[in-house]
Amino acid sequence: MNRLLISGIRSRSGRVGGSSQSSDAGGARGRVVRRRGPSGRKLSRPASSVHRTRPVGETERSDSIPLVSVIIPVMNERRTIRRVIREAFAVHPSTEVIVVANGTRDGSSVIAKKAGARVIEYAEPLGHDVGRAVGAEAARGDVLLFIDGDMVISASRLRPFVAAVLREGVDVALNDYSGPTAKPIVHSVVLAKHALNAMLQRPDLNGTSMTAVPHALSRSALTAVGAESLAVPPLAHAKAIRLGLRVKAVHHVNVGKLNPPRRERERMKPLEYVIVGDHLEALEWVLGRGDDRCGFVDQTRKRHYAR
Amino acid sequence: MSRGRRGKRVSTEETPAVLPVDCRVSAVVTVLNEEATLPLVLRELGKLPLEEIVVVLNGCTDSSLSIARSFPQVTAVHYAEKLGHDVGRSIGAKLTKSDIVLFVDSDIPIGADRLKRFIAAIAQGADVALNDISPFLPLFRDWDEVTKMKAFLNLSLGRPDLRANSMTCVPHAMSRRAIERIGSGMLAVPPKAQAAVIEAGLRIRTAAAVNVLQTNRVRNSNVGKDNEVSRLIIGDHIEALKYAMNAGGSRLTNDDSGRRRHVVMRRQL
Repeated sequence: MNRLLISGIRSRSGRVGGSSQSSDAGGARGRVVRRRGPSGRKLSRPASSVHRTRPVGETERSDSIPLVSVIIPVMNERRTIRRVIREAFAVHPSTEVIVVANGTRDGSSVIAKKAGARVIEYAEPLGHDVGRAVGAEAARGDVLLFIDGDMVISASRLRPFVAAVLREGVDVALNDYSGPTAKPIVHSVVLAKHALNAMLQRPDLNGTSMTAVPHALSRSALTAVGAESLAVPPLAHAKAIRLGLRVKAVHHVNVGKLNPPRRERERMKPLEYVIVGDHLEALEWVLGRGDDRCGFVDQTRKRHYAR
Repeated sequence: MSRGRRGKRVSTEETPAVLPVDCRVSAVVTVLNEEATLPLVLRELGKLPLEEIVVVLNGCTDSSLSIARSFPQVTAVHYAEKLGHDVGRSIGAKLTKSDIVLFVDSDIPIGADRLKRFIAAIAQGADVALNDISPFLPLFRDWDEVTKMKAFLNLSLGRPDLRANSMTCVPHAMSRRAIERIGSGMLAVPPKAQAAVIEAGLRIRTAAAVNVLQTNRVRNSNVGKDNEVSRLIIGDHIEALKYAMNAGGSRLTNDDSGRRRHVVMRRQL
């Protein structure tokens, strides 16, 4: 797979990109998808107000190393990407926004460049969560914030994740969201997250996980777990906990967009298999470092009698 | 575990209790100081057409042994020391040669009518007949870690339909074929036995719903969220997953071939 281009910094980003796709991008402009912030205010604003929402000092930021890197994997998200990027830039005065566009056919990457993001572009889809790892490798900030391109989350709801890393010494600041659990049967992904935390001896984390956005990482956490492991988020999650990093659920953002529960014996969706497999891969890494039971001993069991 | 009343009742696939005439059936009962409930358990088992009842006593300091010996059909095996969790089942399974083996605990008396269904399920072709605890579980948010692990093991093994039903839980029954295929020693770590059963392509399903969550005897070691028994069972499930991954690969059947990991690897070089 060829990496097509990495756009420049935001000051010249408006000139990068194919003009054939800009008309698509223009078509999305002005479309208002109503999503509300915690106070109920609409997050979407007319395009003309974009520049006013950007914090001051952006010119120096282009040349110096940013404090915060926001990483946004994008496929075909032209309806939301502009607003996602705008909120990302508003998280902190010293912020770079990295968009990893993969398999994009709807002009999302052009919009992203115009909105000032550094765009890393791949012609083909990279597969689930690989974009996060690619973006993390390119990031220069001390704090890495991971969000999705299809979900507009206001800057005020993203800041707690960055603040937890910057000011509270948290290494991995998770979304305090455990999925819909007030039901007798939960989604397989929700179950896997809860089970992994139980196996990691962190049942207090419930179903919170690096699988879910938003979450933030310290630079030292990234170094410890390795950028490549972010392509398998439960693996990075398990590594962070087992390597003794401070992993904490810091703020609740309801990203509940999971599929409704399956009827019994109904086939699982392909993405569910990927994510369940990710959790097993995480367990395998933990098992490779220690005993066969992750520290859950059975010393009272006299196995030699059982043959 | 707290018991949710709001949990939706899930219908159970109940097996008609038609007992076979041409199969030899036995029961395995493990006992650790259960003089109060053992007579009730053995009385119910006495109503079933069993070839033998293997009672595995371990670490008993009460009258459990003499109670066991007072019942006909009983083959009592006695160990002075405690064998630890589930080891007794493995010993009992090895001792009996019957076609169908019913596993029960001595602290939970269950009516013969209920127990029949597990035997009948095996007679009708199942290899493992599990107790369906789904109707008695609370909402997921109130599940303990053990229950989550049971459901996750089944999900990982490609059997989410089994939910949180497990060979860790009694009563359950097995075919002789299944015991011989996986080996009786496996039964000392029931989730591992379950992984082996599924991996071997043996037929495992639920046979009846018996509420053992309410009746399980409270001991010092099984109270509280992070108790000793709960930690042991979580460890059993991890061991089961490791066993399955050794045989079936690190992701089991959960493929991620659409993921282009090499992109990241190459960038790092």
